[in-house]
Amino acid sequence: MRCGDLKESYLEDEKIFQSLFVKIWLAVLLVFLAVFPLLADAYMLYVANLIGFAIIAAVGLNLLTGFTGQISLGHAAFVGVGGYAAAVLITRFGAPFWLALPLAGLVSALIGLVIGIPSLRVKGLYLCIATLASQFILEYVFVHWESVTRGIRGINVPPPRFGGFVFDTEASFYYITLVVMLMCVGFARNLVRTKWGRAFVAVRDRDLAAEIIGINLFRYKLVAFGVSSFYAGIAGGLWVSFMKVVTPEHFPFSLSIQYLAMIIVGGLGTILGSIFGAIFMTLVPELLNVLTGTTKHFFPGMEQLFIPMKDVIFGMLIVGFLVFEPHGLAEIWHRIKNFFTLWPFSY
Amino acid sequence: MLTYEKCVLPLPPPVKGGGFQIPLPSRERVARGGISDGKSSGKLAHMHVRVNLSDSLVGLLGSLAKSVSPHAISKEAGLMRARGFLAVFSLMLVLSMLGPAPAQDVIKIGAVQPITGRFAFAGVNINAGLEDALMMANEEGGINGKQIKYIMEDGQYQLDVATAAFKRIMTRDNPLIMYGESTGLGKAMSPEIKDRYKILYSSTSFSGELADVAVNPYIFVPGPTYADMFGILLKYIANEKPGAKVAFFYSDTEFGKDPIPFARQMCKDLKLELVAEAVAQVGAIDVTSQVLELKRKSPDYVIFQGFVVEPVAAVIKQCRDFGMKTKFMGTFWGATKMIIDNLGPLAEGYMAVNPYMYWWNDDVPMIKKIKTYSAKKHPSVTYRDNSYMQGFMTGLIFVELLKRADKAGQLNGEGLVKALQSLKDFDSGGLSAPFTVKNNKFPVARVWKTNVQKKIWEPASDWMRLDK
Repeated sequence: MRCGDLKESYLEDEKIFQSLFVKIWLAVLLVFLAVFPLLADAYMLYVANLIGFAIIAAVGLNLLTGFTGQISLGHAAFVGVGGYAAAVLITRFGAPFWLALPLAGLVSALIGLVIGIPSLRVKGLYLCIATLASQFILEYVFVHWESVTRGIRGINVPPPRFGGFVFDTEASFYYITLVVMLMCVGFARNLVRTKWGRAFVAVRDRDLAAEIIGINLFRYKLVAFGVSSFYAGIAGGLWVSFMKVVTPEHFPFSLSIQYLAMIIVGGLGTILGSIFGAIFMTLVPELLNVLTGTTKHFFPGMEQLFIPMKDVIFGMLIVGFLVFEPHGLAEIWHRIKNFFTLWPFSY
Repeated sequence: MLTYEKCVLPLPPPVKGGGFQIPLPSRERVARGGISDGKSSGKLAHMHVRVNLSDSLVGLLGSLAKSVSPHAISKEAGLMRARGFLAVFSLMLVLSMLGPAPAQDVIKIGAVQPITGRFAFAGVNINAGLEDALMMANEEGGINGKQIKYIMEDGQYQLDVATAAFKRIMTRDNPLIMYGESTGLGKAMSPEIKDRYKILYSSTSFSGELADVAVNPYIFVPGPTYADMFGILLKYIANEKPGAKVAFFYSDTEFGKDPIPFARQMCKDLKLELVAEAVAQVGAIDVTSQVLELKRKSPDYVIFQGFVVEPVAAVIKQCRDFGMKTKFMGTFWGATKMIIDNLGPLAEGYMAVNPYMYWWNDDVPMIKKIKTYSAKKHPSVTYRDNSYMQGFMTGLIFVELLKRADKAGQLNGEGLVKALQSLKDFDSGGLSAPFTVKNNKFPVARVWKTNVQKKIWEPASDWMRLDK
């Protein structure tokens, strides 16, 4: 029985998976995720894919807002930039999906860098408004730059293919989402324990002090915007290939708010928080839909009442979580874990 | 309290307040500082001990509580995801088991309706119309004996919610026919409807993009498209006043912009002068700039597209305040009694295109049937608007197509499409002119005019067909 947490080097302390037990459970999880399509029906796989895209986008936003402290209300627009870039690259330039996806991320990162430039001069709420402006500007571009985006008609995107195999069902696309999500989350988790991650946190906590000790604020803020937009672009490219169509209606301002809600409910400043938040915000409305669907059988004719109740319940859940744990679901998770760490000796 | 402390890293003194977390040895904990006030997580924050339980106990607790952690407070995404996914997955499995078992010999029709959200006033009516038509058919014997089951979910007029609802119904119930809530949903689902689901689909939308037998053979529009409606209005204008000045006032959405390119071309063909095009958001409060432009150009006719009531009422009022003598016209969603109720005397002279008869047309056999059925099933209802008639007509078409496909022994997507193409002079009991399908739509309608005293719409023209 291990007693005490004995770490003799910083390297040991920084390990992500710190014991064999954790690694075993992680392997169990990966096996479950790999086998999931065999157990689930098309609708559950659809939701699983959506959760995957939301995780990638939420991790990106958390890197920007949670770790670097730059509040961004334009995240959905960057997802849109990635989606449209992927669509245009695939349909207009004939690029294969595997090439179009990273390129879409890069295009989105470039736009993110441009949008990040005001962050040198404005902070906090003012940066919030500047990113809000970017959301509306990019939405306008999606609708009106018809020569590239085909405006409201949208672009039909063929599904990705590899050799002769076409990824056009939810189950087959799930594997693409899974692999990309694991890569993205792994990269982000490692990013935050490097010099860059620590610089982000320093910029968030006391940017004046950070500047004094030699952290180039502008550079790290721009990098944060760039990386966050890259993640958004990847999520957008995946989403667009999954839905096989992209229209400006897919990326409204409410989606930006949803991503922000994901990371706030999940936990700012933690990668795990983004994952929890994305799962929560995507899954809970669907579960509530299933619930209202089943209650319909018991109370026929009451649909008009139950359907809006769904939104009320969802809002109350968000408010409830934040009241009881402002640091989000990740913190609730840690508290539960800490409780059991000492069980039965805790008091 | 167990406080075994052996840590290589130096411990900074605890600092309260100032937005900092109470620092703990692990760097990761510091990285999780958070933007809000450094609220301590209780006694645990002061604890520098990590005691590990034995692995066997851990395993036992793990299987029981699913929330065991045998080690330090560090973030393992994998572990969390295992628990989260397992719990969620089991919950979903349980919930999906609920619900009645499917019955044999039942024809399922699914619908995603905008019951809440921006178009709720229309969505509730359309849903009522579609459901009434299907239930009436059930009462009259169903489809050669088979009963119809109507499954409806709320799409909230939002694309992501509607898409999820669509997929949920398809996966859970596998209906033969689906009804959708918006142009956006139809366009988003059209590749899958064609390649994968192969079911008959119709929607609240009259968009021309969806009525294309070559591209979307499974999708049809239960009436004329918006472009057809514009064509009918422009033809009416050309008959009334050749060479008139026309302006379009449309919303900055798919719904608003859909017929505009065709309408521009039609103006040229009919030698009408298109003097202005004004664009506004749906439900816009301030339309002064657009109204001023209309005042400058002084058109004879202004056609609205893409709105229902707001800001049509505001535009008409402001134009009349300016003393403009323009005549206003609208397409299907503008042919609602709400316009007359809201505008009052300002609605004088307002015209709209509508392919269906109204609730007060008692001489129409189908309207009489609807009224009898409503009195029986929904006694509190006093009026059903044109959106109800759209849903009802769609229901009638569905029933007719199902009957034809069933008689031909092909009760599936292909059979329904064949039946659709065979629709010629379909009699809807007077609800509309005889419907003949052309390119997956039924391009026939008539122009209606308001009668402000009686607060009803009256026909201003006979049935105008664009399908000859």
